[in-house]
Amino acid sequence: MAVTDRAAVVSAPQTPRRRRLPAAAPILLLALTALLLGIGNFLAPGFAAPDNVLQLLKLSSFLGIAAIGQTIVMLTGGIDLSIAWVITGSAVVFTANCSGADGNIAPAAALSLGLGLAVGLINGWGVTKLRISPIVMTLAMNNIMLGATLVYTGGTPSGSSGPLVRALATGNVGFIPAMVILWCLLTAVTVIGVRYTRGGRRLLAVGESPRVSFLTGSNNDRVVVAAYAISGLAAALTGILFSAFSGASFLGMGDQFVLPTIADVVLAGTSMFGGRGGYGGTVAAVFFTTILTTVLVIGSIPQGVRSIVYGAAVLAAIIVQRLLSRRDDTGQ
Amino acid sequence: MSIRRLQFAGSGPVLVFAVLFLVVVALKQGFSAFDLRSLCVNAAPLALIALGQFVIVLARGIDLSLGPVASVAGAVMALTITDHPAVGIAGPVLIGIAAGLANGLSVAQLRLPPIIVTLATMSIWQGIALLVLPDPGGEVPAAYQALTGGFSSPFMGVAGLVVFCLVAGWILRTRFGLHLRALGGDEPAARLSGVRVSRVKLGAYVLGGVLAALGGMYLAVATSSGSPTVGDSYILTSVAAVVIGGVPLSGGRGTPLGVVMGALILTITGSLLYFADVSSFYQSIIDGAILLAVVGTGSARDWLRDIARMGPWPSRTGQPS
Repeated sequence: MAVTDRAAVVSAPQTPRRRRLPAAAPILLLALTALLLGIGNFLAPGFAAPDNVLQLLKLSSFLGIAAIGQTIVMLTGGIDLSIAWVITGSAVVFTANCSGADGNIAPAAALSLGLGLAVGLINGWGVTKLRISPIVMTLAMNNIMLGATLVYTGGTPSGSSGPLVRALATGNVGFIPAMVILWCLLTAVTVIGVRYTRGGRRLLAVGESPRVSFLTGSNNDRVVVAAYAISGLAAALTGILFSAFSGASFLGMGDQFVLPTIADVVLAGTSMFGGRGGYGGTVAAVFFTTILTTVLVIGSIPQGVRSIVYGAAVLAAIIVQRLLSRRDDTGQ
Repeated sequence: MSIRRLQFAGSGPVLVFAVLFLVVVALKQGFSAFDLRSLCVNAAPLALIALGQFVIVLARGIDLSLGPVASVAGAVMALTITDHPAVGIAGPVLIGIAAGLANGLSVAQLRLPPIIVTLATMSIWQGIALLVLPDPGGEVPAAYQALTGGFSSPFMGVAGLVVFCLVAGWILRTRFGLHLRALGGDEPAARLSGVRVSRVKLGAYVLGGVLAALGGMYLAVATSSGSPTVGDSYILTSVAAVVIGGVPLSGGRGTPLGVVMGALILTITGSLLYFADVSSFYQSIIDGAILLAVVGTGSARDWLRDIARMGPWPSRTGQPS
């Protein structure tokens, strides 16, 4: 998928591409988020109070950081299914090596981020050099990480994160949660990186048309490998922070992140086929889906119905997007 | 691609399975009829769901909702079949058809990307499964177990897998099957040659949904009960079985025999570790390695040759093929 060339496949002349969608999707999502906050406030007074909104943002930030990588990979036309067990694996490595001491944070975090980076590089290598489709490559790496994590832990993860990281994941700076500040910084870096740097423009170009990008002198393979490497790093960072937030690492802790990151990236209007979109919309989508889930929980809706509503909301959102854009986007 | 390579594309999975099978036989120093039966019975639900995935992948789609559809089908069967046998059989099949229609209409008519549509319907069917049957339970009378082909005679299990291959092979020989593969091979060309693209796609998703429902019914019969989460492990495993079976996700090529072999390969790795006295923790590493080996060996050889010929700078780096 990553290396197919849409421009070469579609030979018929096309209507000019409409650009208003990327802006429309996040605005729609933010409007729906405001509506949900209103409903939440009705169900539980104080839900939309600034304090609580900040807590909700903190809750969203873990998914948000994992979604940075997914966004960047999907901008190249790829997908990263391996983040589930990269998150779990790096969290397990982090807590085991940190064992609750601040002094161990640096080496443990370096080991954990190195693991994420390594998996990302292998994913990128497989997708570019071996030309394996991203779904298969990252699915296989996910399996390998799953097994490796089980072998490494012997089935029971151990240790805990140092108090410093725990303060970052759960504490406040003034009245703003530290995680929200971190997420804002990472968001700024990502948005500026994708929009305004040469690397970001190459990323969009590779997703839009690999051939044109190649002819303009870009080393496509290097761009794609970098995208998967960033995804691996983002997943490892999520694992470290989420294990500190939860108090410990546990097996399967990363599973809840994979499909929501993909759904959020697509909800934000980023094309499955690469080239269009950015991280700003993903932030809105992450916040929207987190609040949706929270509202359903406080409305004491049973889990089965929550799952149906979540799926229906994602389906409705992409149908609305399709009707808004009316662009023939069947290229695969 | 030359004809010779096409033939090899079909025999690869059989070869991989044969090697793994021989290793198990060697480790266990024998292979009883019981082992054969349990291997086939364990692989059968995955084979059915993977065949459903196969039909959809042939048309260049993907369906992540097949596992949860299987859960719902099995749950409905386990809840109803004791009192209303007709509902217990027809209900799950209708559920499979409905699931396929919903996915197929979204993909074929609205032209939404399959992976995200089925991601959404996956969540919906997981929710429905929890509503239908909040906890594992229900009952399927033991008499139905004869139908699953595993429990009366050892070779019925093998026969079941052979029947799956034959039926799926027959479907591919119909006009629908031809159009399906034409569609996966080159959609614009298929459209120009008169294939009704959206109808064939819809058909692929419906057939996939029905096969997934049959897989769920098989699970319900084999375990005499239903479970709301039993299908979740098949969501990505069915994709893996299809790919290991030699079917590219870009569609158009592949055989039912390969897919059934893919299911058998993913099932036999469990026995392999058990008889080799290795922790089952290693199973997913081996599954992942097999997956990569199957899809990556050809291109890895090209890559190594490029490296050897041109030093560390292969000239076509990044060039789209």
